[in-house]
Amino acid sequence: MSSNLRTYIARRLILLVPTLIGMTVLVFAITQLFDPIERAALYITEPRQARFVKEIIAKYGLDRPVYIQYFNWITQVIQGNLGWSQSLHMKVLDALVTRFPATAELAIYSTPLIILFGIYLGKLSAIKRNTVIDHASRVVAIIGWSLPSFWLGIVLLAIFYGGMGVFPPGRLSEWAEALVRSGEFKLYTGLYTIDALINLNFSVFLDAIYHLVLPVITLTTINVALIMRVMRSSMLEQLNKMYITAARARGLDEKTVIDRHATRNALIPVITLSGLLAAGMLSGVVITETVFEFKGVGYFAAHAATQLDIPAVLGFALFAGILFILANLIVDILYAYIDPRIRLG
Amino acid sequence: MSNKPLSLEEQLKVNDLTVRFYTYEGIVKAVEKASLKIRKGETLGIVGETGSGKSVTALTILALTPSPGRVEDGNILFRKRDSSVIDILRMNEHQLLQIRGKEISMIFQEPNAALDPVCKVGEQITEAILAHRLREMVEKSIEVIKKEKDNEYDLWTRLETWTYKEMLNNPSDVRLKIIQKIPIIRDITKRRLRQVIRQEIVELLKLMEIPDPGRVIDAYPHELSGGMQQRIVIAIALACSPLLLIADEPTTNLDVTVQAQILDLINRLKEKFGSSIIYITHDMGVVAEISDRVAVMYAGSVVEVAPVKELFRNPLHPYTKGLLESIPRPGSPLKSIPGTVPNLVDPPSGCRFHPRCAYMMNKCKEIMPRLVKVSEDHYVACLLYEGESDD
Amino acid sequence: MIRWIKIEESPRLKETKFILNRIRENPLSLVGLAIVISFAVIAIFAHILAPPPPGRDPYIIPRAGYFPEPQPPSPEHAFGTTQGQYDLYYGIIWGTRAAYRIGVLVVAMSAFIGIAVGSLAGYYKGVIDEVLMRLTDIILAFPSLILAMALVVAFGPGLDSITLALILVGWPGYARLVRGEFLRISAEDFVEAAKTIGCSNLRIIIRHILPNAIFPLLVYASLDIGSIILVAAALSFLGLGPPEGYADWGQLISLSRNWITGTAANPFAYWHVYTIPGVFLFLFVMGWNLLGDALRDVLDPMLRRR
Repeated sequence: MSSNLRTYIARRLILLVPTLIGMTVLVFAITQLFDPIERAALYITEPRQARFVKEIIAKYGLDRPVYIQYFNWITQVIQGNLGWSQSLHMKVLDALVTRFPATAELAIYSTPLIILFGIYLGKLSAIKRNTVIDHASRVVAIIGWSLPSFWLGIVLLAIFYGGMGVFPPGRLSEWAEALVRSGEFKLYTGLYTIDALINLNFSVFLDAIYHLVLPVITLTTINVALIMRVMRSSMLEQLNKMYITAARARGLDEKTVIDRHATRNALIPVITLSGLLAAGMLSGVVITETVFEFKGVGYFAAHAATQLDIPAVLGFALFAGILFILANLIVDILYAYIDPRIRLG
Repeated sequence: MSNKPLSLEEQLKVNDLTVRFYTYEGIVKAVEKASLKIRKGETLGIVGETGSGKSVTALTILALTPSPGRVEDGNILFRKRDSSVIDILRMNEHQLLQIRGKEISMIFQEPNAALDPVCKVGEQITEAILAHRLREMVEKSIEVIKKEKDNEYDLWTRLETWTYKEMLNNPSDVRLKIIQKIPIIRDITKRRLRQVIRQEIVELLKLMEIPDPGRVIDAYPHELSGGMQQRIVIAIALACSPLLLIADEPTTNLDVTVQAQILDLINRLKEKFGSSIIYITHDMGVVAEISDRVAVMYAGSVVEVAPVKELFRNPLHPYTKGLLESIPRPGSPLKSIPGTVPNLVDPPSGCRFHPRCAYMMNKCKEIMPRLVKVSEDHYVACLLYEGESDD
Repeated sequence: MIRWIKIEESPRLKETKFILNRIRENPLSLVGLAIVISFAVIAIFAHILAPPPPGRDPYIIPRAGYFPEPQPPSPEHAFGTTQGQYDLYYGIIWGTRAAYRIGVLVVAMSAFIGIAVGSLAGYYKGVIDEVLMRLTDIILAFPSLILAMALVVAFGPGLDSITLALILVGWPGYARLVRGEFLRISAEDFVEAAKTIGCSNLRIIIRHILPNAIFPLLVYASLDIGSIILVAAALSFLGLGPPEGYADWGQLISLSRNWITGTAANPFAYWHVYTIPGVFLFLFVMGWNLLGDALRDVLDPMLRRR
């Protein structure tokens, strides 16, 4: 790793700090909309403490000036105490941690599909600019962009599950669920497809895939347009550059010009913008998991929201915000690796 | 100059080239009946202001007219290495790949923009060599292997030799294609080839007077200075010793001292490679220094062509006169041509220069003058000299 | 004697003509425009298309009994009824007006705040800019649906909460855009010239800079309406919207969730409960997206002159 890259990454990490502090301030500001009694739930770690609301208010200074409250709250958050979720009857952090693998599993299967399809369609659309192919793929992208994800999910369920009896909602069938919960099946990652492979249990693996099909299709359809339109305009921009003319003037065939030069350069902005994809995915999983009863963090958050379970919703918002920031950090680092102008300074 | 065939001493001839750009604002008549010729081994300077159509003409010679431009009329005759004459505008894409970079190549105005920023300099030169000199390089690699006698029975070397022979004799062989698809094997079987090409590039960079070529090969364009970048662009252009080199304002964006070095380099390389050069610029000083003959372009047409000394001593076209007078000289007041370059969507009728011309006559508004010969090798497109034509 | 005076077209008029021309040439943008206008007509004439029962809040859908099973389209109920016998047709018509109300309100308010903040930041630069932009950074550091969800929970469920939450989440996008335009435009000579002749800051901002930033804002706003409606519908679908029976597309779709499996004889027996409101929501969003996408193409300086 060159020293340039190291300073670049270090600078990115330092820039993270004010944003993270800002995020916690914002979440804390939302808590101020509630009265101290409601806020007490943010500090407790087990239901029995709920009886001692007055003590909690006194302990964390919930009736004292805002900055003292913020300090007390942030100390708890840093220690991993995000409060007690009434809707799930567990600590918010535990709920997030136990449910995250399900969400990760959804993301792991959808993200590559989104990126591959998006890049392919965007490239195709740019090369065949203003032809039928271009118009068709742009229309498809706009349709995907405009589809309400929850409705798409419902329609897919109605057609496949309701109409044909395939691809049911949930994460696993009942028999597989029972097997996974029994002692015989060891959980390593919490991602059922991967754990099933490690356990060499292919029927559970297939069952998990079977349940992933519709949610993955939904997430992919909704998000592919984002990558596609960035790739298309980026590709069009690169194709107009002088170095493309120069490459053609060298006698290179069109395939080489496009694959080796235009595409490689066009991918750079796509990578920087794929941070936006992280936001799309995080929002997408809330809806998709709810529709398909796929019990990940998104399902948990949506469920908690309808129960007005404040600590759970705020904890999830903070969690999603941090994930989003981390995704952008990874994107920045990836960007530096790919663009030699940054890597080598 | 009409549609005459190419005489033996001529390298390239552009006849009545007309290029138009179809834009929302209207049809931009960028090049209108422009005619040029370049003799073998000669340097032709093309001068003109921005928007006079010189760059479009240059790119059109490589059939790379920028979009949304379209060639409406004319032909571009070129004599290839094997002495056959072709019309570049009537070649298909496949035939053009054999012309670009091999027979005609180009140097660009902004070296920084002409190099792919995420591709190492060495890779970009390699591309040019692989596109046109693969055979030669493979043959050299086989020679290299033959010289290394002790490796003869080494399995990998034998596979490598086989690969090269297949590449020469039977490039569509299925086994060869499979080997080329497997990453590690592909690299091993082309080890010598890569070394040979690298050696070739080092030699080329030395010719470009680039210090430390071994380091520069592995550099990215942004790590090099503008002058170095332009040397790389020139190296790419000369990698296959083209018959014709088109230089589109190659020194405009460089520092003055670097400018002089690059001009010097181009002049020396011309002697070495024997290529003809089309040198495009708006700088009369550079033209005087580098060209044998000069063509002056105004608003899309060639208005005067003459040997460089003749042009500076005896400019005939009013625009050429104006250009020469506007070269700043110490002690004399700066002169300029009145008026502005016309909008090419709606160019002036007749002679496009007439609104700015001090010698304007009534017929200039109606008749577009053709290039006529006024003396040996001196042509001018102006109605003032129409009667003197002996062509 | 009449003398013809040649009137020079003002550049802004010329620009507008150019844009209208390009929109006319693009069939997709015409489709988008047609959809958006049709929905506007439905919203405006809602009380004629679906007359509300006198004396009641017109946004409350009248119901024909309390029977849970949705009924298919019939002469009395053109689009059928939902779970709990709410009239789907009435819900769609008044839902259009509700969608326009929330979309226009959120965009107008976010744009207003965004323009104010963005102008301040972009015109005065320095510390003001730094502080305001860090604020937008923080809001933009959250996925918008999730932050909006947290805010709605904090405000208490309902359409007004959703509107307020979407404004709070939405304005930073406008502020960023306006700031960028301000930085670009205020570097140009005519702004310098206006300062030199002594124009007041307010006058420069309103008369000279804002009009030049108007087209990018329009593109952003038209694409924004689509996504605002989507997020609002999603929140309402999650159960954070108005109480049951309110004319709101997200809620109508949410009411269909129990009916996707149909009956044994006909798996698609209740097709209308999820298909009809979904198609309307989808078309509405697509209309705005088509329009915004076409506008963006027209205004993209790199692509425009070709």
